[in-house]
Parts: sequence; structure tokens; C-alpha cells
Amino acid sequence: MIEFKGVNKWFGKLHVLNHIDLKVQKGEVLVVCGPSGSGKSTLIRCINKLEPIQKGEIIVNGMSVHDSATNLTKLRTEIGFVFQQFYLYPHMTALQNITLAPVNVKKIAKAEAEKIGREKLDRVGLAEKADAYPAQLSGGQQQRVAIARGLAMSPEIMLFDEPTSALDPEMIGEVLDVMVSLASEGITMCVVTHEMGFAKKVADRVLFMDEGKIIETGKPADFFDHPQTERAADFISKILSH
Amino acid sequence: MLANFNFMVIFEYLPLFLSGLKSTFLISLVTLVLALITGIIACSMRISGIKTLQYPAIAYIEIMRSTPLLIQIYFLYFGLPSLGIVVPEIQTGIIALMLNSGAYIAEILRAGIKSVDQGQIEAGLSSGLNYVQRMRFIILPQALGVTVPPLLGQAIVMVKDTALLSLISVAELTRSGQTMTSERFMPAEAFLTVAFFYMCIYFCLKYLADWSQRKLIFREVY
Ligand SMILES: Nc1ncnc2c1ncn2[C@@H]1O[C@H](COP(=O)(O)OP(=O)(O)OP(=O)(O)O)[C@@H](O)[C@H]1O
Ligand SMILES: [Mg+2]
Repeated sequence: MIEFKGVNKWFGKLHVLNHIDLKVQKGEVLVVCGPSGSGKSTLIRCINKLEPIQKGEIIVNGMSVHDSATNLTKLRTEIGFVFQQFYLYPHMTALQNITLAPVNVKKIAKAEAEKIGREKLDRVGLAEKADAYPAQLSGGQQQRVAIARGLAMSPEIMLFDEPTSALDPEMIGEVLDVMVSLASEGITMCVVTHEMGFAKKVADRVLFMDEGKIIETGKPADFFDHPQTERAADFISKILSH
Repeated sequence: MLANFNFMVIFEYLPLFLSGLKSTFLISLVTLVLALITGIIACSMRISGIKTLQYPAIAYIEIMRSTPLLIQIYFLYFGLPSLGIVVPEIQTGIIALMLNSGAYIAEILRAGIKSVDQGQIEAGLSSGLNYVQRMRFIILPQALGVTVPPLLGQAIVMVKDTALLSLISVAELTRSGQTMTSERFMPAEAFLTVAFFYMCIYFCLKYLADWSQRKLIFREVY
């Protein structure tokens, strides 16, 4: 479903992605963790070409992401992206946020798109907030609307970049619950997160990055309880002490 | 001092002032529309990310903002004829004001567009919205809110700048004051009246600016 082949990326002199080889199977839930600045966000942002790469190739659903002949719009409609800071459109209601892309990119009729939008809102437990503006919602609610916005395009892949890091502790649970139920539905997910509970519960694989390299991958139980490398052990002890 | 003023003369010259006011108003209106178009084009070029469009736009904006308007007016007034282009004073004046205001408007528009969070643009990108759709649905609706008040501010500046056109003998409001002064030698009366009419225009525009600000701020809070 997603394949990285020898991917390298630099920001100026900084080697942010250092020869990444990675395969994510259909329906797999991959958790990416690692210290700040290790390149986790950059890694998943390359998957839908929010970032260019300088070397190697990324294949998503048979399409070469950074090939200029690839239909980028089609590629992006198949991938949902959830940001740490939600990035809802503040001048639109929750429902308008959700239906914008289905109506304008997928050319779905407005009434139909609104029906789908309400279903997705219901799916994230916010059916009654369809007409609320982002400013009227809590952080956890905003992030759930952002997830519904991604789901409304019926993507095969959902990417999450630290979806709970900007939330107050009491709101983390409601967002993780939505993500757990998504994982059980067979959507392919790549999630950058340090939520160990979430990883242990639903991840098929954990990937540990440092300085632009994949240092270690493994089943969540193995990775968190018996890390193979010193750097991973060090990192795990740090997130445990929080 | 006011007691010494000859108000009768003002009434005598009222038709002249009113026709001056009318042409100041019309010049301002035409210039504003043209300057908006100029500003939109210059701003689009400036943010296009295409160097061959970007650099001319930057050069234009910086030249206009770094030199006095009066010099720009004189440059066109004396410069165009020497290039063999002969246009009436009033059109020379409108072109100069349009170019000058257009540069400021381009920067106001650019600030408005830049005020929209880059993350929202990325959210639009990742759901497959194209450039025009991102502009239309995400950027412009939000940018407009922050641009309208400074645009009206620029309009106020521009109206007052039309006074400089009197120096290339365009028959506008300030020119009527000069005409009365030269005929009757009553500069105090003449320019007090002129100032009064500028103030009228200013307060109308200011009212509009305040009103739009209230409307727009209200929209932000929902
Ligand atoms: N647009 C950019 N220009 C230059 N450097 C960048 C840019 N974006 C990220 N970087 C740098 O690249 C490195 C990796 O960034 P990235 O955001 O991928 O890290 P991360 O693992 O997601 O970190 P965090 O946990 O803090 O989010 C960092 O050192 C960062 O400063
Ligand atoms: Mg990050």
C-alpha cells in the first residue's frame, strides 16, 4: 500500500530522511515514534507530497508520489491527513469543513456530501455539532471534526501527525477512542504519536526513528518491553517518566 | 480671527468649490477602482512564486513606495510627452495616483493573504483542493476580513493625495481654492473651505471603515 524505496531528504545541509526503506501493508496500523526533530513529521508528510524528496521513490497504491506525471489530486483524495494543530477552516461550520473537499474535489452533490458529512460527524460522536464553528468547539472536538473531514473523502489511508499532542490531557482519550475504532475497521494508518497505550492496543508495528534513520521496528509489545537498541531504550524510559 | 473672515466670498465661489469637489470625488473613485485592479495584479504576481513575474512586481512596488508621489506625478507629467505620449493632465494624474496607490494596495492584500495560517492551506492541499479552490474557499474569505479596514485607510490617503494634482493644473478641489486665492487674494477663506470639504469626504470614509471593522470583527467572534 505504501512503500519507501531508498528515500533521502535534506533541508539545506540537514539530512532529515536518511535512506528510508519501509513497507506498510493494506490495513496495517503503523505507529512512528522518536525524539523531537528525528524526522517523524517529515516522513509522513512525504507520503502525500506535502514535502518533496531529493532521492529515492515513494509508491502509494501503485502511484509514484513524487513523479510529476502522477495525478496528485487523485493521490491526495485517497489519503486523509490529520494535523497536530487540527487546522480547521475557522470561517466554516464543522459540516462545511467536512463537505468542502467532497463537493469541490470529488464533485459529489451537495446534499449527498452533507449526508456523508453528518454520518462522519456521528461517527466521531459529534452529530449535534454540525453547525458549530471551530471557535465554539473544544480542542478534542476540533480534532474529531478534523478526523471526520479526512474520513469524508473515504480514504484508504489515514496519516496522523501527533494528533493528541496539542490537547489538554482530559481530551486525549476521546480522540484516541475514535482512532482505535478506525484501526479496527481496516483503514491503513500511519500515526506519529508517543501514546504508548494506543500503540500497544492497536498498532501492528512500531517504528522508532532518530536523526532521520529508522533505528528499530517491531511489534509494540516487543518494542516497548524489550527494545533492541540503546537509543530506543533510552527514549522509552523518557516517555515513561512523563 | 474668524470674525474677520469674508464668508460672502465663499458663497460667491460655492459653485466653483462644488465642481472641484465633484471632480475630486470622481477622480478618487476612478483611481480607487483602477488602483484596486493594479494592486490585485501586482499582488498576484508577487506571490506567484514565478521569478519572472515576482521580480518586476517587487521592483514596481518598491519604486512606488520609496519615492515621493509628487515626483511620480511630475515624472509622468513631463516625462510622457517627451516620449511622444500626450495625454490630458487629468489622465496623467489618475495614472500616477493609480500606480502609487496600487503598490500600497498590493502590499495590503499580500499581508491579508499571509495572515491565513499556512497549516490551513496544507489542510486544503492534502484534501486535493487546487490553487484556485484554496484561494476561493480558504484564503480569500479570511483575507478579506483583515484587508477591508486597511484598504479604506489607503482610500482616505489617496483622496487627500489627489490634492497634488492641482500642481499639474487639474481642476479639482484644491485647484478651486487656488483659483479663488488668485482672483480675490483670500487664501485663508479659500483653503479653510477646501479643508472643510476634504474633511467631509474623510468622515464619510472613516464611518465606512469603522462600520466594516465592526461587521468584520463581529464575524470573527461569531
Ligand atoms: N521546512 C523546514 N525547513 C528546514 N528545516 C526543517 C523544516 N521542517 C523541519 N525541519 C527540520 O527537520 C528536522 C526534522 O523535523 P520533523 O518535523 O520531521 O521532526 P519531528 O520528528 O516531527 O519532530 P517533533 O517531534 O518535534 O515534531 C528538524 O530538525 C527540523 O528542525
Ligand atoms: Mg513533528
